[in-house]
Amino acid sequence: MKKKLKKLEKAAPELIPIEDFITPLKYSESSRMRSLPALSPQESERRVLLLKKWCLFKQKQDEAEKKAIKGLVESQQEALRELRLESEELYQAAVRRDEGLFPFQRDGPTYTPPLPGYDPPEGKCIDITKVYTQ
Amino acid sequence: MAAPLAPGSARWVCSARWVCSARWACSAAAERPWRLFGAMCLLRLPRITQPLEKEEEEVAALMEQLELEKSHYSDHEIRKLEEEEQLRRKKESLYDEDEARGQTVIMAQDLEEKWEQKFLRFKAAPRITDADKSNDRKSLNRKLDSNLMLLVKQKIGNQELWLLPQVEWQPGETLRSTAERAMATFLGDHIQAKVLGNAPYGIYKYKFPRAIRTENNVGAKVFFFKAYLQSSDLSQAELKADYLWVTKKELGDYLKSEYLKKVNRFLLDL
Repeated sequence: MKKKLKKLEKAAPELIPIEDFITPLKYSESSRMRSLPALSPQESERRVLLLKKWCLFKQKQDEAEKKAIKGLVESQQEALRELRLESEELYQAAVRRDEGLFPFQRDGPTYTPPLPGYDPPEGKCIDITKVYTQ
Repeated sequence: MAAPLAPGSARWVCSARWVCSARWACSAAAERPWRLFGAMCLLRLPRITQPLEKEEEEVAALMEQLELEKSHYSDHEIRKLEEEEQLRRKKESLYDEDEARGQTVIMAQDLEEKWEQKFLRFKAAPRITDADKSNDRKSLNRKLDSNLMLLVKQKIGNQELWLLPQVEWQPGETLRSTAERAMATFLGDHIQAKVLGNAPYGIYKYKFPRAIRTENNVGAKVFFFKAYLQSSDLSQAELKADYLWVTKKELGDYLKSEYLKKVNRFLLDL
C-alpha cells in the first residue's frame, strides 16, 4: 500500500488543460468553411490605406495623451515646490503616501445611461465550468 | 512682473519674481506673507461612452468584416443553411412526406426574427438627456459623456466670483483636510467623494491689490485638489451658495483668464 502511495506521489502531477485553448475537433471540418467571393483589388487597396490612416490617428492620440500627462505632472511639481516654500510640515504631509487610495474600483461608462426603474428579467445562473484538482 | 493696478479695482495678478525675494526675506515659518487656501475640484466622471470619431468607426467596421471573413460557420448558421436547403428542395419536389415527419416546427429563421422583435421592443435610456436639451447647468444629468466639475460663487474681498470651492487653511490641519472642508461647506457632510491623494494638483498665486496689501499679508496661494464624486445622488446635499456643474470647455465662460490657465493645466481633456 505504502509503495503504491509513494509511486503516485513521485509521478509528476498532470497539467490541468485550459479549455479555451483547445479547439473542439468539430469546428475544423471542411463543411464549416465559409465560401466568400475573393477581395477585389480596390477593396484591398482601401483596406491598406485605411490602416495607414488609423496608424497616424493613433499616433496623434498617443502624443496628445502623453503631453497631457506631462502637463499634469509639471503642474503638480510646481504646486509642491510652492508648498515647500511655505511650510515644510505641510509639504511632508502632502508628499506622504495615501493608504486609502488603492485598491480603487469603479464601473466604467456604458453606451446608454442606466434606465431608472428597469426590472431585469428573472433567471437562475447555473455554473457548469469543469473544476480540476491536481 | 506685477501688472499696474487701476485704482479702486481689484485685479488678481500672478508674480513669479516675488517668490524669490519672499524666500530670502522670510525663511522662518512664523512670518508667512502668503495666505493659504485649499480648493477642491470635484469631478463627476462620465457615465456613457464618447461618440466614436470617423476613423474609429471606419476601422471598427473593417475589423468586423475581417472577423467575419476569417471565421467558420457556427452551429446556428449551419442549422439555418440546412433548413434553407430543405425549403428549397420542398418547393422543387412535392414528394417530401418522409422528411417532413422528423422535422421540428421552429426554424432558425423564426428564432432570429423572434430575437429581433424582442430587441426592438426594448427602449434604452436616451444618451442626450432632458437636462442637455434645456442646458440646465445646475443638474448632474447633463453631458453624460464628459467630466463635470463644481463651480461656486464666492465672495473674495468685495467681489463675487465664480471659483472652485475654496476655504482658508487653519493651522493644525493638512491642506487636504482644508480641501475636504471646502467641499463639506458647500455640499454638506453626506457626499461620498474619493480624494485622489495627499498632494495638490495645481496652484494659483495672486497678490492682493495694493490697497489691502500689508507687510505680512501680501497675497494668497490657492492649492487645488482633485476628487471623484462617487454617489450620483446629491438630493441630500444642502447647497448654500450659487453652484454650477460645468465641463472643461465651458469653464472659460465663468473663470478669469489667469485662474483658468492654472486650472486647465491639471484637468485632462475629456
